[in-house]
Amino acid sequence: MFDKIDPRSPTPLYAQISTRLRVAIAAGELLPGEALPSVRHLASQLRINPATVVQAYRALEAEGLVSTRQGAGTFVLDVPAERKTTERSVEARRLVRDMVAEAGRLGISATELRDAVDHELNGRKE
Amino acid sequence: MTFAIETSGLQFRPGRGFEISNLNMHVPSGALYGFLGPNGAGKTTTIRLLLGLTPKQSGSITVLGRSMPGGSVDVMARTGYVPERPHLYPTLSVDETLRLHSAFHVRWDSAWADELKRQFSLVGERRVASLSKGETGKLMMLLALAQQPELLVLDEPTDGLDPVVRRDVLEALLGYVSSHSATVLISSHLVHELERICDWIAVMDRGRMVAELPMQEFKDGIKRLVIADVARTTKEPPFTVLARKQSNGGEQWLVRGWTNGMRDYFAHSGGTLREVIDLDLEEGFVELLRSFRGAA
Repeated sequence: MFDKIDPRSPTPLYAQISTRLRVAIAAGELLPGEALPSVRHLASQLRINPATVVQAYRALEAEGLVSTRQGAGTFVLDVPAERKTTERSVEARRLVRDMVAEAGRLGISATELRDAVDHELNGRKE
Repeated sequence: MTFAIETSGLQFRPGRGFEISNLNMHVPSGALYGFLGPNGAGKTTTIRLLLGLTPKQSGSITVLGRSMPGGSVDVMARTGYVPERPHLYPTLSVDETLRLHSAFHVRWDSAWADELKRQFSLVGERRVASLSKGETGKLMMLLALAQQPELLVLDEPTDGLDPVVRRDVLEALLGYVSSHSATVLISSHLVHELERICDWIAVMDRGRMVAELPMQEFKDGIKRLVIADVARTTKEPPFTVLARKQSNGGEQWLVRGWTNGMRDYFAHSGGTLREVIDLDLEEGFVELLRSFRGAA
């Protein structure tokens, strides 16, 4: 799940982790009641500072997506469907924002970009 | 903020190498403090001074509340130290080494030592002299961790170790830090490793402290600015310019201490800011040193 975490990125590590988890919760990859990996386990596995994991979990808790029970761990909360839809849409916008910025840097026009998006989505055929 | 390690005006001239000059260092309690610098910068000398293994010439050193080198015995009992060169007796077996070490440390946790031995795949009967480099590295980390120290001082603990062993060693270290309140000072030139795990970064070069600040602040603050119409920039900038070079009809400035609000500087003083480019820790480190040496 966390294979895209990049310590070299300017985005702080804790934000990368909380974003990944936020998306996982919105997409239903993580279900209500499910436990997040323990701080110790995740820090060890990703070889990052445990304080970073704590910060990511606290951010999610502040957003009402998870709840930490002392000694037991951090668990996904039951998040209403509209909230999930909002998260997905925020994430979609973020993805598009990055893509549009990159396209701009490469001199790709809006039309060219839209064509490419349609082509990809048609290929996906959900 | 309390500090696990603090120095003020530390001075030391070694027989060979750069003089440690007016060193002011502050390692916050509970921090994972990365000590970065090229080979020969004085990191090992500094570490030895901090632990009272080498006597200072002037200035003050306080470690875990004790003044050094006076408090050395107490501090060493509470500190897990992994030196640059192994400090093991070659004729002892792994188990004998553990037993010897445990005798000096009241908080030694034998159950955990055994667990780490298993995790590190170390065989108790093997003589230290017959251990590979990787096994030696793992044994040293085991010794430092099993004493459940308040402070870990690690001098290039993963240097020369293969990626698999490095992973094992770091996992054990991070596992310890997750469940104990401890401060870690880790010196390394493996920038990317420090970038992952450290929340503070100190850069040393030629015996002097070049920078000491929270990791994220360092990474956020060091940028490459692409600027046009440079001649018009008249006012003194709020950031520090480390280097300037010509580029595509304009200039590229390497700066330190940048925040987003500083875009205003360009709005008000002339010159056009075209782009702000992020640097990762390695690039930032290299550029910082280049400019530090250029200025010296």
